[in-house]
Amino acid sequence: MKVKHIISTWAIAAIMTACTHPTVPENAQKESRLPRIYPDYTEVTIPCNICPLNFAVREDASEVVAHFTFPNGEATYGKDQKVLIDEEEWKLMLKAAKGKSMQVEVYAKTGDTWKAYKPFNIYVAEDSIDNYISYRVIQPSYVAYEKLSINQRDLTNFDEKEIYNNMSVSTEEVGQCINCHSYQNFKTDNMLFHMRQGLGGTMMVVDGELRKIDLKTDQTLSAGVYPAWHPTKRLIAFSTNSTGQSFHTKDLNKIEVQDTESDLILYDVDKNEVSIISELDDELEVFPTWSPDGKKLYFCSAHFEYKNDSIAKETEMIQRYKEVKYDLYCADFNPDTKEFSNVEMIYNASDSLGQSVTLPRVSPDGKYLLFAQAEFGCFHVWHADADIYLMNLKTREVQKLDAVNSSRSESYPTWSSNGRWIMVDSRRDDGNYTRPYIAYFDKKGKAHKAFMLPQKDPNFYTFYLRSFNRPEFMVEPVSITPQEFTQKAKEDAVKAKYAQ
Amino acid sequence: MTVKGKHRHIYLLAFITVAFILLPVMNGDYLYTIQDNDVFISGHTFMMNTVRYEGGWFAWVARYLTQFFYYPWLGSTILILFWVAIYWMTILMFGIKDKWSFLALIIPAILLYHLLDYGYWIYYAKTPGLPFLHTILVLACLLYTWGILYLTRNLKINWQMKGLICVGLLVAIIYVCNFLWPSSPWHYNYGFRHSIKTTLTDSNFKHELRMYRALDEFRYDDVLKEMPTDNETPPTNLMVLYKNIALMHTGRLTDLFKTNNCGINPFAADSTLSSRIHISQLGAPLIYYQFGQINFAYRWAMENSVTYGLSFRNLKIMALCSIFNQEFDVAAKYLLLLKTSLFHRDWSIEHERWMYNSTNFIQSRDFQAIAPLIDDDPNVLDDDKGRCEQYILDHYSTLRHASSPQLEEVILCLSLWREDAYSFCIHFYDYVQHHPQESIPTLYQEGAILHGNTDESPIDFKGFKFDTFVADRYNRFVQNYNQLSQQGLSNEEMARRLRPTYGDTYWWYYYFYTDFTIY
Repeated sequence: MKVKHIISTWAIAAIMTACTHPTVPENAQKESRLPRIYPDYTEVTIPCNICPLNFAVREDASEVVAHFTFPNGEATYGKDQKVLIDEEEWKLMLKAAKGKSMQVEVYAKTGDTWKAYKPFNIYVAEDSIDNYISYRVIQPSYVAYEKLSINQRDLTNFDEKEIYNNMSVSTEEVGQCINCHSYQNFKTDNMLFHMRQGLGGTMMVVDGELRKIDLKTDQTLSAGVYPAWHPTKRLIAFSTNSTGQSFHTKDLNKIEVQDTESDLILYDVDKNEVSIISELDDELEVFPTWSPDGKKLYFCSAHFEYKNDSIAKETEMIQRYKEVKYDLYCADFNPDTKEFSNVEMIYNASDSLGQSVTLPRVSPDGKYLLFAQAEFGCFHVWHADADIYLMNLKTREVQKLDAVNSSRSESYPTWSSNGRWIMVDSRRDDGNYTRPYIAYFDKKGKAHKAFMLPQKDPNFYTFYLRSFNRPEFMVEPVSITPQEFTQKAKEDAVKAKYAQ
Repeated sequence: MTVKGKHRHIYLLAFITVAFILLPVMNGDYLYTIQDNDVFISGHTFMMNTVRYEGGWFAWVARYLTQFFYYPWLGSTILILFWVAIYWMTILMFGIKDKWSFLALIIPAILLYHLLDYGYWIYYAKTPGLPFLHTILVLACLLYTWGILYLTRNLKINWQMKGLICVGLLVAIIYVCNFLWPSSPWHYNYGFRHSIKTTLTDSNFKHELRMYRALDEFRYDDVLKEMPTDNETPPTNLMVLYKNIALMHTGRLTDLFKTNNCGINPFAADSTLSSRIHISQLGAPLIYYQFGQINFAYRWAMENSVTYGLSFRNLKIMALCSIFNQEFDVAAKYLLLLKTSLFHRDWSIEHERWMYNSTNFIQSRDFQAIAPLIDDDPNVLDDDKGRCEQYILDHYSTLRHASSPQLEEVILCLSLWREDAYSFCIHFYDYVQHHPQESIPTLYQEGAILHGNTDESPIDFKGFKFDTFVADRYNRFVQNYNQLSQQGLSNEEMARRLRPTYGDTYWWYYYFYTDFTIY
């Protein structure tokens, strides 16, 4: 152990001295406050395998230096107003600080004077994070869409690659929209995403083999929309939705996306069959998600009765949009017989709280459930009051995750495969563009301060006019190339059958 | 190879002269608009997100250079210099003889034609940096060919073999690029758009370009100057909208029928284009902004950016709307992007001051002009269904309450523009109640005298005292109308005959402008 410690100390020292590092300014004037840094990495807990947390110092300064102190070592970084950390050195720093913390003291030069800001800590968890995430890159658009892609990002470095890019099949006249991607058990040999409009269909990877399926049947409302792979069986639960959009004339939320109708279906991958899970009148069922053992299906549903036959459903929905509030339900599922039973409302948000629950996700240990909650509706990415909540599935107690939330929209919560990391989409940065935020969830069930997905250039998000939607963890990258997806996208979709 | 001979210089000089006349002299507004519909943001993020796709480096350079069309003469000079380079390279590479050197102008001439061939397509083309992109690609191809010829100069192979190597290598490069780079997010257009006639001869198209810029810069009098005064050249609906916005902001909206208010559809050179020309793309963000419909202005700036690419003009509208909505974080983002450009930096710095000092904002021309138009009706969910003009007319003519005198005027005038007798009569009644001592604008009296006694009017105006000259003129109009009608004249002929006398009245518009189509 001692030898290992000496070697690692020497390795750190050797690498640090090999690179050019600024010196810590002497006689700096002490400031009692924390420095303004972007992204905000002050007092965050990070995985022991994450890429460097490069940041920009947003003080009135011409030069900055960040002095990192960690067990058995220290390092300084700083160039102009940015702190860019060498990837190899960062790995050593993480290794040294694993289970402990590193302290960062930021110095900023204004004129001829250096200021030393109050130091902050970065805590390095013992727990690692899944190596990959994927997200849809999209402008915060209304009705129009053009270039969309689903990208995968290696969290241990800054590599980002496209999984699929719709422009490979779109023409100037006929575009293609891509949405909701999903993986079975965080692995990519069973995965899917949807394509709408030009060359539409559901792109599925089943045991590494590509398929393009048309899930719309004469008996169902639409093709599959929000998907959830069963954790053990080759089954996928989907919602089917009749969705519309309308626009606020003054409200800053700007857009309302509403379902005039929605149901739940089950797709049997092997039989290529669609069956109904739930299609109750006056109920808008949506957002299915499985428990890790595959014996329960959680979903959201809003009770909504249309009252005016003289106008279209869409019109009435637009007039009464604030009345649409979703509750959380759970149904038992027998994976052998594929039968659902005992549907139970487990969280009444509508009547008791006047709130609306969406996007439930169960933790990999089955103990907790995350969801997004706001005053009404189902599209919380556009609701500034939307926050992330945590339900203890044993006690059914619900708590708001203050460490993860902000005054702006939070949505799309998800868990890492080890259940120690939560990822959410947040608009806290500027209110319009969603960015992935990651938070540590410790063994005691406590969430820690969330941090923004790091980028090589800390100003990346400032100049980037696209949102990162529906971030999902993956334990491995998608191995099928964009060209292979494109090839398959150009083929006709195989029609799914309807099963009673 | 030499470049001696006077013909080469004469041909080149002639081409430069023609290009200069056709570009900055005749079509400066067209080129400015192309620049305004494109964008270039300095910095790593924009560059990496441009060059990561096939053709990305060319697009990045083309977008950088397109900025120079902010000053059309400057952009044109740079572009023409590129064409001169193409001309000389062609002559040198292929050893074209002096008297045949005009052949080397074929490519620059095609590029010139191609640039002028967009017409209304400048709002719909998805080619980044379109004035320069094709020129840069041609130059790259020439350089590539020159490189191959140079490298194979000592090989004992014939011209055919060299050509084969040239083409074969190019195919291989394109194939590898196609495999390595993700598909481009743009649609490169290499074909012709068949719209050069619009660019060169359609006066309405040119008026629209100038009116947009004047409106964008709050030069309302310049907007009005663009409106043709004769009735022989009917304006487009978009011009009518721009004109009425200018009248609205100068307190002269009651003159809307004194200026030509009978819009037509724009002329589109081909059917593909005519079905896609909508005001939503041509000017909706600015129109909604000028009407104080901030959310809808932002929406269309975003929608158009998504579909046709980010542009300086949409970035500006999104920044302005965000400031109006007090969404300062996102406004700061847009302003920062604009600040990195070559020529929109000052605009950005000026508008940054609005965010940090609310007094600056409240005293700004934007706030002074637009804030009074923002109604105090509650927020609702709505959709213009891509019909900006229809939405503006419907929205204002059906507003319940006017919270400012400006809004009161807009509601009354737009009710007449929309020929909504019910809405007009209600608001006219309110107007009379609120302004008991004031003289009533002639236009309102024209509306009230026409609609006041109809079934559509919820209010009886029988006892109302109209100005004598309005009442007399109306009686004469009715008399003349009946006379012509009894002669069995068609509506078009009656319109033509009555226009010199009554063309400035609401009555003429109401009875004879029946061709109101929304696009």
